[in-house]
Amino acid sequence: MSNVDRRQFLKLVGAGGVGAGAGFMLAESIKHPVEYLIPYPIPPEEFSPGIATWYNSVCGMCPAGCGISVRTREGRAKKIEGNPLHPVNQGRLCALGQAGLQTLYNPDRLTGPMLQSGERGSEEFIQTTWEESLATVAHRLAAARDGGKNIYLLSEGVRGHLAMLLERFMDGLGSEHLMHYDFAHPHALYAANQRLFGEHTLPYYDIRNTRYLLSFGADYLSNWLSPVHHSLGFGHSRQGTDLDRGRFVQIEAKMSLSGAAADEWIPARPGSEGILALGLAHQILAGGAYTGSDFDDWNAALAGYSAESVAERTGVAAKTIVRLASEFMKAEPGLAIGGGAVDNHSNAVDTLVAVNLLNYLVGNIGKPGGIVFNSDPVVGGPANNRQANFIAMQQLAEQARHGAIDVLIVNNTNPVFTLPHASGFREALASIPMIVSLSSFMDETTTMADVVLPSHSYLESWGDDMPQPGLGFPVAAISQPVVSPLYNTRATGDIILDLAGKLGMKDSMPWDSMEACLKDGWRQIYERSSPDASDFDTFWRDVLVSGVWGEDIHRQDTVVVDKSVIDNIDVAEPEFSGDSEQYPFFLHPYMSTAMYDGRGANLPWMQELPDPMTSIVYGSWVEMNPATAQQLGLRDGDLVSISSEYGSLEAPVVIFPAIMPEVIAMPIGQGHSAFGRYARDRGTNPLQILAPLTATTSGSLATHATRVSLAATGRRAAPVQTGGDTRQLGRNIVQFTGDDSSAGGHSANLNSIPIVVKTT
Amino acid sequence: MSVSIVHTLRVLRPAAMIALVALTGLVVGFYVNATFFPGTSPEQPINFSHRIHAGENQIPCMYCHVQARRSISAGVPSVNKCMGCHAEVATDSPQIRLLASYFETKEPIPWIKVHDLPDFVHFTHKRHVQADIECQTCHGPVETMDVVSREAPVKMGLCLDCHRKNEVEHGTDCWTCHK
Repeated sequence: MSNVDRRQFLKLVGAGGVGAGAGFMLAESIKHPVEYLIPYPIPPEEFSPGIATWYNSVCGMCPAGCGISVRTREGRAKKIEGNPLHPVNQGRLCALGQAGLQTLYNPDRLTGPMLQSGERGSEEFIQTTWEESLATVAHRLAAARDGGKNIYLLSEGVRGHLAMLLERFMDGLGSEHLMHYDFAHPHALYAANQRLFGEHTLPYYDIRNTRYLLSFGADYLSNWLSPVHHSLGFGHSRQGTDLDRGRFVQIEAKMSLSGAAADEWIPARPGSEGILALGLAHQILAGGAYTGSDFDDWNAALAGYSAESVAERTGVAAKTIVRLASEFMKAEPGLAIGGGAVDNHSNAVDTLVAVNLLNYLVGNIGKPGGIVFNSDPVVGGPANNRQANFIAMQQLAEQARHGAIDVLIVNNTNPVFTLPHASGFREALASIPMIVSLSSFMDETTTMADVVLPSHSYLESWGDDMPQPGLGFPVAAISQPVVSPLYNTRATGDIILDLAGKLGMKDSMPWDSMEACLKDGWRQIYERSSPDASDFDTFWRDVLVSGVWGEDIHRQDTVVVDKSVIDNIDVAEPEFSGDSEQYPFFLHPYMSTAMYDGRGANLPWMQELPDPMTSIVYGSWVEMNPATAQQLGLRDGDLVSISSEYGSLEAPVVIFPAIMPEVIAMPIGQGHSAFGRYARDRGTNPLQILAPLTATTSGSLATHATRVSLAATGRRAAPVQTGGDTRQLGRNIVQFTGDDSSAGGHSANLNSIPIVVKTT
Repeated sequence: MSVSIVHTLRVLRPAAMIALVALTGLVVGFYVNATFFPGTSPEQPINFSHRIHAGENQIPCMYCHVQARRSISAGVPSVNKCMGCHAEVATDSPQIRLLASYFETKEPIPWIKVHDLPDFVHFTHKRHVQADIECQTCHGPVETMDVVSREAPVKMGLCLDCHRKNEVEHGTDCWTCHK
């Protein structure tokens, strides 16, 4: 080491220095980053740090009205579960309900009142204050009221005391134009129940106790009426009793989630389901299951529905019809339900009357496992009272075009997205001088508003709810805020009350807040129910803690169908828009749990939730039968143009075996042009190209009455699919058992040993 | 052709020496940081002394850290709690005046965490306190410290040793702590 020269020495010093520095920094880098312990200056009384507080409330994501329990920590909502005490969902909750947190914390929430500063639809807004915006609206409403001009209020379907507030508000304005608009509202089902049973509320369909469910198009496990409750019932009927497992038959043109869960899936020609139901009714009469005094009337009315003629009209084999009828009437009890596509053909009301008739003929009305009638809700009228059907929405547009509407108030509903282009609704809005929107998000309808009054999410507001359809007995629940408001928003009820105060309606609406209004209203429920609670405050507390209130009242009435109804029992052939040569395919737009009517599209969890049948996430697609694809020379992922008489759109092909060859299916919910970063410009909206055809007598939009044509674009756009191949590739994943050759021939190649081998 | 290893070594010797010196420097640098700048007793916004409170005055830990028995986090006392005593006690001390100024402006005191487990460890105070584990087992003799420093090595070994010694049910399962 003696011969280290100066140059070498400097090198060594440098190396040592760099090494030491690197060592120091290495030690520094593996230390914990500095974290802080932030105390409360003054601790809140409601909670302790680190300890979760749960609040019971009501889900606001769809109209089913499930009870929820929300876990909060340090004043923030962390998790939503089902309320175990609530009879609708009994502790369970669907994916959309779980994603309610993403409504609350959505980065695209509206954070304060705004005024449109650009052209309508331009989404150019300037921030304003509540005082100013409410004063503007109140001034405008007062001028319209005093000048005798028309004021319209278009709300989502609200129930309970909020519905009552809206009624009184519009009364105070001297206007009769209070409309509820929900895309998924089953207008035809209400009309059918009215016609056959004389009932203006929906009955309870007791899937839980049924042994044989005949579902005509109702995707009851995914979105029909109350999917979480139906799923519970389905599970119980299948596995929850000592009896043989319940049998489920699904009749629909495209297999839904419920179809996939059923024991048997039977495709019937689109719109012919009611004819099939009458064919089954004919067989039931012939089988002697019905013994009513009006047997001869029924027999005469259904004479034209022999198995053979029905087979020809529906495409379902005659022997299958005979077998289904025999199984249905032997079941103890059987239940027939109808919805989905069946609710949305031009003959929907006839069809649903025919489906209900099956229940009537086998005598399961008012019995467990059958149809149980509901009494009127505890507060307000039936949900159908104010629901606007398609004809009413078209009339609104017509009035607007004639300049007959001065002010339109929209509350959290999005008709610009869910009504077809052919309705002209969006264009008609341009003729309304003043549009006010109460919404949490900048949806398509809110982009057209002049004044935006951002409302609380359901997790921040007071409210109450009476689930409809009920469960055969009265149920009500209070929705309470689980977190303080995140932004400068207000509850819908509070906004209405504030406006009412400014417009001098204190006499009919004396409350300062929605909470006060609820308390007042629930005092009557307290008095009516003669509860154990010694005073109202205890009762109120008990209801909030348990999250639900109910009464053990069951209706015991019997139904007698009027002779005029019997004589007119018939199902007309469905009408379709478009010539069958030029537009050879039936368009089948369907809803999903995740997107519902499009409201789920701004929630990342719902965008990421694979469609249960195709495992696709994010986009839109069009499903078609392999035979159809082969005939048109299309492959999975080919982009096709889908055209109706009223417009066209593009979507990639997904080959799906469980769909009739003449039907193509598209999911509803994507294709937003607004509604936040997650929803905008993703996929296409099949509702936009629908024909403006309505169902006879119910006046609702016949969403399944549009014929379309397909044309290849030559481009490809494979949808994002989480599953791999849709074929088995010899892996023997899907196994069959049983010997029902009429259902397509099953193979029995299981290696396992079944507990019960049952031959039917 | 033959290659002499001795010759190769001789050529490489200067480079090897540089590498050796650099490596030695690395170890020394690391050691210096770990020994003289451990970061285990960071400077706090107020010179709060556990020795005075828990040592001399014998205030029980859970008088201030009230959550420890029933929450996953022990909880740092609210400013309000401090003022409960210090509205009367030692009001002239400059540090207490600092405390009072936080309280008057309703500002929280930004204490720096001394004991901090990584996010992938699930630790709950409640279970340990209710099992009568002394606070000092993990936090060290806090009642003797003017400035709290991290003395006990709160690493996985400490947890496992204790879980084994006390025969905790599922005490060595991965999911007990990593969930």
